[in-house]
Amino acid sequence: MILNSKLHKSIIRFILDGKIKEIDFSKTTELRPTTTVLNYLRSLPDHKGVKEGCAEGDCGACTVVLGELNENNKLSYKTITSCLVFLPMIHGKQLITVENLVDRNNKKVLLHPVQHALVKSNGSQCGYCTPGIIMSLFALYKNHNNPTREIIEDALTGNLCRCTGYQPIINAAQKACTNNGIDHFTEKEPEIVELLKQINKEEKTISIITETQKYFKPRLLSEALVLKRQYPNALIINGASEIALKQTKKYELLKEIIDLSDVDELKIFKENDKEFIIGTGLSLEKIKANVKDKLPAFYDLLKVFASLQIRNIATLGGNIASASPIGDTLPLLFAYKAKLKIICSDNERSLYITDFIKGYRLTDLKPDEIIKSVIIHRPDKKEIIKYYKVSKRKDLDISTLSAGFRLFLDKDKNIKEIILAYGGMAAFTKRACKTEKFLLNKKWQRHYIEKAMEILYREYEPISDARAFAESRRIAAKNLLLKLYSETSH
Amino acid sequence: MNKNNSKYKAEHSLSDLPHESAVKHVTGESIYINDINLNDHLLIGKVVYSKHAHANIRACDLSKVRALQGVHTVLDYNDIPGENQMGPVVHDELCLAEQKVTFIGQAIFLIAAENEEIAIQAEKLINIEYEPLKAIPDIEAAIKTDALIAPPRKIECGNVENALKKTEHCLKGKLISGAQEHWYLETQSCLAIPGEGKEMNIFSSTQHPSETQSIISQVLGVQKNEVVVEIRRMGGAFGGKETQGNHYAAWSALLANATRRPVKIHLKREEDQIMTGKRHRCLSKYEVGFNNKGIINALKIDLNIDAGAATDLTLAILERALFHVDNAYFIPNMLVIGKAWKTNLPPNTAFRGFGGPQAIALIENIIDRIARFLKKDTIDIRYKNFYKNDTNNITHYGQLIKNNRLFKLYENLTKSSDYFNRRKEINKFNFENEFYKKGLALTPVKFGISFTTSFLNQAGALVNIYQDGTVLVNHGGVEMGQGLHTKMQYVASAELGISPEFIKVNATNTSKVPNTSATAASSGSDLNGMAVKNAIEKLKSRIAQVVIEEFNKTYSENPSEIKNLEFNNNYILDKKYPGRKIPFKQIIQQAYLKRVSLSATGFYKTPGIYYDKDKGKGNPFHYYAFGMAVSEIIIDTLTGQHKIIRTDILHDVGDSINKTLDKGQIEGGFIQGVGWCTTEDIKYDENGNLLNHSPDTYKIPTIRDIPEDFKVELLEGVPNPNTIRKSKAVGEPPFMLAFSVWLAIKDAISAVGNHEIEPEFSLPATNEIILQSIEKIKKKFF
Repeated sequence: MILNSKLHKSIIRFILDGKIKEIDFSKTTELRPTTTVLNYLRSLPDHKGVKEGCAEGDCGACTVVLGELNENNKLSYKTITSCLVFLPMIHGKQLITVENLVDRNNKKVLLHPVQHALVKSNGSQCGYCTPGIIMSLFALYKNHNNPTREIIEDALTGNLCRCTGYQPIINAAQKACTNNGIDHFTEKEPEIVELLKQINKEEKTISIITETQKYFKPRLLSEALVLKRQYPNALIINGASEIALKQTKKYELLKEIIDLSDVDELKIFKENDKEFIIGTGLSLEKIKANVKDKLPAFYDLLKVFASLQIRNIATLGGNIASASPIGDTLPLLFAYKAKLKIICSDNERSLYITDFIKGYRLTDLKPDEIIKSVIIHRPDKKEIIKYYKVSKRKDLDISTLSAGFRLFLDKDKNIKEIILAYGGMAAFTKRACKTEKFLLNKKWQRHYIEKAMEILYREYEPISDARAFAESRRIAAKNLLLKLYSETSH
Repeated sequence: MNKNNSKYKAEHSLSDLPHESAVKHVTGESIYINDINLNDHLLIGKVVYSKHAHANIRACDLSKVRALQGVHTVLDYNDIPGENQMGPVVHDELCLAEQKVTFIGQAIFLIAAENEEIAIQAEKLINIEYEPLKAIPDIEAAIKTDALIAPPRKIECGNVENALKKTEHCLKGKLISGAQEHWYLETQSCLAIPGEGKEMNIFSSTQHPSETQSIISQVLGVQKNEVVVEIRRMGGAFGGKETQGNHYAAWSALLANATRRPVKIHLKREEDQIMTGKRHRCLSKYEVGFNNKGIINALKIDLNIDAGAATDLTLAILERALFHVDNAYFIPNMLVIGKAWKTNLPPNTAFRGFGGPQAIALIENIIDRIARFLKKDTIDIRYKNFYKNDTNNITHYGQLIKNNRLFKLYENLTKSSDYFNRRKEINKFNFENEFYKKGLALTPVKFGISFTTSFLNQAGALVNIYQDGTVLVNHGGVEMGQGLHTKMQYVASAELGISPEFIKVNATNTSKVPNTSATAASSGSDLNGMAVKNAIEKLKSRIAQVVIEEFNKTYSENPSEIKNLEFNNNYILDKKYPGRKIPFKQIIQQAYLKRVSLSATGFYKTPGIYYDKDKGKGNPFHYYAFGMAVSEIIIDTLTGQHKIIRTDILHDVGDSINKTLDKGQIEGGFIQGVGWCTTEDIKYDENGNLLNHSPDTYKIPTIRDIPEDFKVELLEGVPNPNTIRKSKAVGEPPFMLAFSVWLAIKDAISAVGNHEIEPEFSLPATNEIILQSIEKIKKKFF
C-alpha cells in the first residue's frame, strides 16, 4: 500500500471546552504530531491550570481526564498524565481539564463536588499539584460511588503532593464521591456523545506527515502491518508511556511513529477452557479488571504497577516489547509459560516468551512484525503461580527486583515443576536455572529451601545502581524463595 | 467583593478559614511564575552547567551557539556588569564559573532563546573542554583531606571528660544520615522584565525576596532601588528557595538586562534535582555515658555535615544542629563539636528543620541504643531523661526552658495511643511470627523558635485601608502553601474587628515592605503577624480619634473615651455605652474626609534573644515548640518493605490561629520526614554525579505511604505568652516526629534478634538497609 492523498489526513479532532477542536498539522508550525497534550494545553491562554511537575508521568501534576465512547455508547472517564500523551492519541476523545469542572451553566457558578470537598478538607497547600489531584478525584467521582480507601488510594497513587501528607485528600474523596457520579457532565453527556460519534465516524488512518516527522494512526491491524512493512524503523507506540520519554527527557526527535491505540483488534480479552488471550493493545488497567479473579498473580502485579494514569494508557505489548530487565510483567509471563502471537502482513507465528527475550532490550521481533496477543495457559488448580516485587517505595516505583514463580507439587509435596524467573537481577529477565535444577524432585521443605537459597544467592551477578546495591538484590532474591515457601507450606 | 478574589466561591465558616487560595487552587486559577501570560516578546533562559565535579575549564567554543537562529544572547562571567558573586552570607559562590568548576550543576553559561526548543538545541552546541581534577564526593573524603569550609564550632557544658570517666556505662558509635531533595512541585522559576533605565522587575519563586533583590542589584551593578521583586505564591519551597531561588533570579535578570526582553527560567525537574543543594548529609560520632537506670550523664558528639562546594547557609544550619543534639533531654555534661566539610557537590542549603533533624535523629538513636543495652523499653529511657520543670531545665547553651510541655504531651499521648498495651501486643505478635515483625516507638521533639542569627528576627508590614473600608495587607512573608497569608488575613481581621472578606493579603513585594527576612525558621507568622498587628494598632489609634470626634458630636455631655472603644464585628463601639456604635466602613469614609492617613507601616523585632558564638552560650530562641508521636509499623523481613500501621501525634502550637492549617503543617511535615527516614535515598557516584535525579529513582511518599490510621491532635489549653495571638510556630517541628517511624522500624528489625543485638542502622532506613541489617542479625543470632 502506498500512501495516497485519500489516506493522507493530517487532521485530528477532539472535544475541548465542550466544542470540537480541530488541529491540522499541515497548517501549523507551532504544533507537531508529537506535541504532548500538556504542552498543547499550556500553549493556550485559558488552560494553564495543568502543570508540568516532572515530564515523565511520575508526579501527576499534569493529570487530565479523557472522556471516551465506550461499547454502550456512553462516556467513560479516565485519567492520563498529559505529559506523556501525544496529540493524535486524543483524536476522537473528549479532553477535560481542571478549568472545565466549575459549573457555569446555571446563573450561579458552582464548584464541582470534588473541588468543594478539597477546599473544605484543606486538601491544597501550595496548590501546584492540586489541578492534577482534582482531575484524579473527578475521574474517581465519575467511576466510583462511596469508594473504599483502597480504591481512593489507587486513584491517587500517581499524584504526588509534597505539602499535605495526603490525609485531607483522602478525606475529600470520601466526602465528595457519594452522588453516583452525577454532575454537570452528566447533563451534557448526550451532546458530547453525539459529537464524538461524529468525529469517530471516519475510519481512515490518520497520516500526519511533516517536514521532520511521520505519524500514522491506523484503525485496522492490516493497515498497521502494511505501514510497519513500509516503515520498518518506525517506533510502535500505544500508550507511549515509555517511548514518550525519549522526547520529554532526552529531547530526541521521534521521526517515524505508528500509533496502534485505535486498533480495536488488539484490545481483546478472550478466554476458553484452556487459555486466556490478551490483546497487546489492551490497557493494563483493563487487563487488571479482567484478571481480578482469574489470574490472581497477574492482578497482584498490576495492583503495584505504576499508577492508574499510566495503566490507563500503558499496554502489555509495550511492557513486553521494551524487554527491559526491570519490566514488571516479564518474570510473571515466564512463570505462566506465556506464548506470544506475532504477526506481520503475510505471516503469523507464535513463540514462548522465554524465546522472545534475547538480551538486554533485545527481542526476537523482526522489523515488520507486531506482537498481536499474549496467550496464558489457564493454570491448573494445583499449580501455584506467584508474583513478588521488591522496590524502594511500594507503589509507583520501578522494581529493585521482581520475581514470577511457578510451582507444582505432587501429593507427597515433591517438587514436580518449578520456574523461578527474576527481573532486575541480570541484563534481562532470567530464570534461576541452577536453583530450579537443585529443587526439582526435592521435597518442598524448609531444609531444602534454605539450601536452595544459598545457591540462588550466588546464581546471579546483579549490579549496583541508583535503585539498589547488588548485595541487597541478592539477599532479596533468595528471600523471595523463602517467601514463596512461607506462603505455600501450610 | 470576594475574599478569595476568585470568580468562584466556596462556603465556609469564618472560625476556620480555608487556605486563602484554596478555591483558586482547585479551579486551576492560581498563577505561578510559569503561568504568567506575556505577549510574544518573552525569551526562554537556559542555564548551561558543569558536567564535572571538579575541573579546570580549558576552552569553550561558542561560535556555533551564537550563530544559531533564535538565540538572542549567550553570557559568561565576563558579561556580568556587576559583581560575579551570589553567596548569601559568605561571598564564596560565583554567579557564573570562571576558570574552574567545583560541582556538577554549577552554572557556566546563560542562554536566552526564542523558545525552549531552541534553548535546548543551543545548549547542545556548546562544547566545553574540561581538565578534570580530583573531586571530593563525600564527607569521608573531605575529612581525609582536611577540607573544612569554616573553623569548627563548639558548645560545651559541665565536664564531659570527667563524667565519661566516672560513668557506669559508656557506648560509642556513629550515625550517618542522608541528603534529601526538596522536591517542591514547582521547580525553580523566575521571570525578569526589564523596565525603563536600570529598572528590573522580578517575579521570582523565592522565600527571600529582599535577598533576591540584593543579589540582583549586586550582579547587575545597580542600586537596590532599581530592583523590585514580587512573589504571589510558590508551588512549595521547604527551604529550597531560601537562598537558591536567588540564583535563577540573578541569571534571569542578567539575561533580561542583556537582551532588554523579558526572560523566564523555569527548570526542568532533572535540572532542578541536579543543580540545587539538598539537606546536608551528616556523619556523627558519639560517646555517651549513663547509669543503670538509663539516665544520661555525659554526651560527647562530633557532628560533621556536608556543606557542598560553597557555604550557602551551612554555618547557620550547623549551629542549629548543635543547638538540637539535646532534643528533649537534660544532659548535664556535654561537648558538641560541629564541622562543615567542603565537597564537590552543589552547595547544600536550608531544608525544613535546618540541621535540627540531623541532630535529633542522632540523640534519638542514642537513646534507642541505651534502651536496648539496658534491656528496657525506649519510652522508659526517654521519660527519665526529659527536661524537667523546675530543675534540670537549662540547655547545654544555657537557655532556660520555660513552659515545658513534654510531660503533658507524654501523659496524654501514651494514654490516647494506648502505648503500653500495644507494646505487649506487639511483643506477642513478634514472638508468634517469623517473617513479619512489628515495631513501635514514641519520639518527642523540642524545637527552638527564632532565627539563630539574631538580627534576622525582624519583620515589616504595610497596611492600607481604602475608602470603601477594604483593607490590603502587605507583609514581608511569602506564601508557599503553608497558609501564611490566611493567618495574616485572620490576624488583620481579628485585630481590626472586621470580617476577613474585607481583607486581602497582597503578593509579597520588596517595594511595599523593604529589608525583610526570609520566610523560614518556622517564623513567618510569629514575625509578620506581629508586624501586621503593629501597623493595625497605629491605624486603629488614628481611626479611634475620628470615632471619638463623631461620637462626641452627639454625646458631648458624656464624652466617649478612646480606651473604651472596641473594634468588633465590623463596628467600632463604646464598651461603656454600648448604644454608641458606628460601622467600620462609615468611619473610614469619615476619616478620609478628615484627611487622616489610612496607611501605616508596622515593625517587629523579637525581644530578648542573643547568642555569643565564641562562648557557646546565650538565649538564641524566643521559645520552644514541642510535639510527640507514636508510630507502629510492620516490616516484611524477607523484602525489607514496611508499612506504617498507625501514627498518633500530639503537637503544641500554643493557641492555634488556624487549626486546619496547623494540622496541615503537622501532617505534611511528618510525611515529608517519613520520606527522608524511609524512601528518599540520594546516591552520588565517586565522580560526584547524582544518581537519583528524577522521580523515577528518587521516591517521595505517595498516598499509599501514609499511616493507615493517622491521628493528629493539637495540645489544647496551652497559650504561648508574647507571641501573635498566643500561637506557636508550626512549620518545621513536626518534620522530626517522623523519627517515631524510623525508630519503630529499628524496633522491628531488632525483634528479629529478640532485641539482643543492636541493629546496624542509618537514615534513611530504605528497604535495602533494612534487609541488610536483618541479614547481619540473622548471621549473628542463628
